[in-house]
Amino acid sequence: MTATDFFSLMPLIIIATAAVIVMILIAVKRNHSVVAGVSLAAFALAFLSLFRITAVTPHTLPPLLIIDNYALFYMGLIFAASFAVTLLSYNYLKSYNFNLEEYYILLLLAALGASTLAISQHFVSIFLGLEILSVSLYALIAYVRTWERNLEAGLKYLILAAQSSAFLLFGMALVYASLGSMNINDMAQLLSGANLGPLALIGFALMIVGIGFKLAVVPFHLWTPDVYHGAPAPVTAFIATVSKGGVFALLLRFFVAIDIYNYESLVIAFSVIAIASMIFGNVLALLQNNVKRILAYSSIAHLGYLLVAFLSGNNLSVDAATLYLTAYAITIMGAFSIVSLLSGKEQESDKLEDYRGLFWRRPVLSAVFTAMMFSLAGIPLTAGFIGKYFILSAGVHSAKWLLVIVLVLTSVIGLFYYLRIVVAMYSAPTDDMPSQPGISRSVSFSGVLVLAGLTILLVWFGVFPQGFISLIQNMVSSLQDVYLSMIV
Amino acid sequence: MISIPMEFGLILAGTLFVLGLIGLMVRRNIIFVLMSIEIMINAAGAAFIFAGAKWGEPDGQIMFLFILAMSAAEVAVGLGLILQIYHKFQTLDGDTVSKMRG
Amino acid sequence: MILIWLIAILMIGGILAWISQSWHKNAPRWIALIAAGVDFVLVAVIWLQNLSKVDLTGQSQWLFEVNYQWIPQWGISFFLAMDGLSLLMALLTTFLGLLSVVVSWTEIKERVGFFHFNLLWILAGIMGVFTALDLFLFYFFWEVMLVPMYFLIGIWGHENRIYAAYKFFIFTQASGLLMLLSILGLYVIHGQNTGNYTFNYFHLLGTDISLFTAAWLMLGFLIAFIVKLPAVPFHNWLPDAHTEAPTAGSVILAGLLLKTGAYGLLRFVIPLFPDISELFTPAAMMLGVLGILYGAKLAYAQIDLKRLVAYTSVSHMGFVILAVFSLNELALQGAVMQMICHGISTGALFILVGAMHERIHTRNIEDMGGMWETVPRMGGVGMLFAMASLGLPGLGNFVAEFLILVGAYQVSIFWTVLATVGLIAATVYSLRIVQRVFHGEKIKDWKIPDFNVREMVVMGSMIAVIVWLGLFPQSVLNTAKHTLNSLQQRKVIEQTAWQTDSQTLNQNTSENKTIIK
Repeated sequence: MTATDFFSLMPLIIIATAAVIVMILIAVKRNHSVVAGVSLAAFALAFLSLFRITAVTPHTLPPLLIIDNYALFYMGLIFAASFAVTLLSYNYLKSYNFNLEEYYILLLLAALGASTLAISQHFVSIFLGLEILSVSLYALIAYVRTWERNLEAGLKYLILAAQSSAFLLFGMALVYASLGSMNINDMAQLLSGANLGPLALIGFALMIVGIGFKLAVVPFHLWTPDVYHGAPAPVTAFIATVSKGGVFALLLRFFVAIDIYNYESLVIAFSVIAIASMIFGNVLALLQNNVKRILAYSSIAHLGYLLVAFLSGNNLSVDAATLYLTAYAITIMGAFSIVSLLSGKEQESDKLEDYRGLFWRRPVLSAVFTAMMFSLAGIPLTAGFIGKYFILSAGVHSAKWLLVIVLVLTSVIGLFYYLRIVVAMYSAPTDDMPSQPGISRSVSFSGVLVLAGLTILLVWFGVFPQGFISLIQNMVSSLQDVYLSMIV
Repeated sequence: MISIPMEFGLILAGTLFVLGLIGLMVRRNIIFVLMSIEIMINAAGAAFIFAGAKWGEPDGQIMFLFILAMSAAEVAVGLGLILQIYHKFQTLDGDTVSKMRG
Repeated sequence: MILIWLIAILMIGGILAWISQSWHKNAPRWIALIAAGVDFVLVAVIWLQNLSKVDLTGQSQWLFEVNYQWIPQWGISFFLAMDGLSLLMALLTTFLGLLSVVVSWTEIKERVGFFHFNLLWILAGIMGVFTALDLFLFYFFWEVMLVPMYFLIGIWGHENRIYAAYKFFIFTQASGLLMLLSILGLYVIHGQNTGNYTFNYFHLLGTDISLFTAAWLMLGFLIAFIVKLPAVPFHNWLPDAHTEAPTAGSVILAGLLLKTGAYGLLRFVIPLFPDISELFTPAAMMLGVLGILYGAKLAYAQIDLKRLVAYTSVSHMGFVILAVFSLNELALQGAVMQMICHGISTGALFILVGAMHERIHTRNIEDMGGMWETVPRMGGVGMLFAMASLGLPGLGNFVAEFLILVGAYQVSIFWTVLATVGLIAATVYSLRIVQRVFHGEKIKDWKIPDFNVREMVVMGSMIAVIVWLGLFPQSVLNTAKHTLNSLQQRKVIEQTAWQTDSQTLNQNTSENKTIIK
């Protein structure tokens, strides 16, 4: 490997080294704050190193990895989200008195796996990245093991993720058997619009199932709400942002490269998945009484929206999907931050009841939460609106009227449950309410930092999105350009 | 040396995969569920080897090595979880453990 | 620049009002009063300055404009402009906004800061809607005015407020999203035709769209606007929202939010889709007349006084649809007058009902009766605005409805005759208010104070305006003239072009039309 190779892998090396350092630190002396500090520093460093790397992109490390601007953007998203999760986790775990330090190793490794996904261009690295991410997540979800719900969620996630890996692997094996390459670029060249044989078709279908499980889209969503519900709130935030972000980055890279839009059967499969996700996600969310579960179902719907952007298949679709994903990550991170900041020991404030009259007791937190809900619902002045607008625009450009109209109608359904949370917060408080211990807990400095940062981003992107859009256009469009130049 | 067509191998792998999937859906005991998943993953590994043999490349076997390593890690974490669950619930029945609904 | 200030003053005032809650209990009220007052004075000064200028022909229809890049990648600009129509609407907005701050002075006792924040932000959103000329920006402000309104109803409303707030929000959001789709469709078609992707109103104006597509796109806009207006099949949210909202909320809903629907029809639907609008005229006139009669019938059947007034809005706004789609000078002038007069007269009735509810804690018409003796000032004011509502000559509403009927008569005699029946119905329900509340038997012996000085100032100013509108409508009509002319001009150009094309040029008619313009 050359010096440039090492240089371009800098962020991954930083994260991996930090994981080792944390391990050694734990062996020397357990100290929660120090470990959390090292992890934070690692994420910050890795994030900053991305700016230096822009000088050498796009850089390929054949055959496994490619570091282009697209990958850098998604890595930036992953590191920033992991940074926020680390801050939240520090707050959240403080009150527990078992061994907390290993949590951060797992967090670092999970982020490592997710960023590997973003730079993969080969089945081997995809598989490795995915497994590093998933195996760390099993342990993270079940980390508070004194807590029954946590164990159950961990087990369910284990079965779900392992099974989805099996589907993905089998699909990859069939694709390999049919095409004779595991490298995305080679595959793109081998295919270049040619018809798929039955073997490859089954292979791609199985891969879609596997990715579908990872992204929790209908009909592969069954245990997602349980996992969201049972996991500790910061970990839920991690799943919703980092894990989904990494997998979605992979999905875009892979299917844009092989130019899925030439294969009608695959497009139809994704369209059905997208429509079903939008409808079922939004409708099932209506029936929930738990904020974490509502957000879980809403995440299903949002993945459906993302697929609409992806399916538009024009020069806007990658930009739109990335922008939406970023906006969604900011928003959902904010929402789970609030759930996590309001949670007491062993008992999270996740029931809708807990939020009744919150505005009159914690006005600032509620105002922020309201902004997050509005962003999820796609109401102007928030990043969510810009994202939704961009997706609609991409869809209208390609005249995907069915998808676009389903998106619009289901977002109206979505309004109902976002408003339910908002209404609960603004309704008059009653005196006989069972007071949830976490609600009145004051928010620590790190919590304030995360929330303030996210809220500023949310409103900033909602009101002045042009800088954000050009950033994404500069970074992400490399994805299409690279492959276009390759095919030509 | 008699060469076996790749399709036969893939059919074998596919059968194993489906068997694993059926086990996953039918079995209630968590250990068996875990085993079923292992079968599915290993079926995928076998498919990689057959595919690699067809193209005359070592890639399929390399992939299989990775799969072995990762599935071992998965099982290790899985068994750890199962131990904890047995501690808490005194049972390995999946339905009993599953309390969250909706 | 002044346009940005008009919006910014309200927004900044709103934030200050919210923050100032912790300084002093009354601070938010004063800040809101000052912010709304300054805005009103600014708009009034603009109006007075331009009163003499605007009816000069040949000069551009637009008095001010600001145009900044906002999201250049998507062709979105921060483009505000004001013409006569916008100016009148802005005047109405600031006037009613100022009054709503004053009428909430004692009604709102809790969370005063947040209340005034919402109030001022609604006004800012409405101001934006009336001045935005970038379609994306328009949608943006359209939403900005809805969210605080939702809070206003949902937090400070009456018993059934949550349900009403939900209904209001869902109706308007759903229709708004359809409009967004239409805006996007228009944007994409224009972009594909010309290679210029932009949301600029002027660029989009002459977009060449096939009739079929245009029909669908217009439908999206139309639904958003007639839900807001509201026309009859979509009027369902209105009585609930009006009834449950606090007084200031009802005044703004009836006086301003409904007008944004009418304004949208005038500013966007007709100019952007002239051909389809023309085809749609018979259906629109039917919708209008349906609204007039159905609204009047329902108004008559109500026993909740506030609900009654709410239904009269449905009836009055029916006239606006009728007028907008008649598309001739008289009818359009009538529509503008109706928008303003209805804002004033219904606003006043809502304030009256609110004041009464504050005193006797019921809105049930059956508990009232014979109140003239106890509260003569309320009675007098109520009488006057009931007369305004039924269209008594000398008051603004008469001018408006008369112009509309004369204008519509030239288009369809049948629907005009039916609409006239609405006037009779208006007489019936308006007199019923006066009869049941102020005259007749005393059902209960209410001991309540009459209007105080603050309330009399509010009412006095509204009476002055409605009488002035009735006696001197010309100044308003002059202000709007230029805008309305250009609306018609477009129609004439379209028609002559069509006639030339089809070789059936009739020299006489086309000359006539040119003269009308």
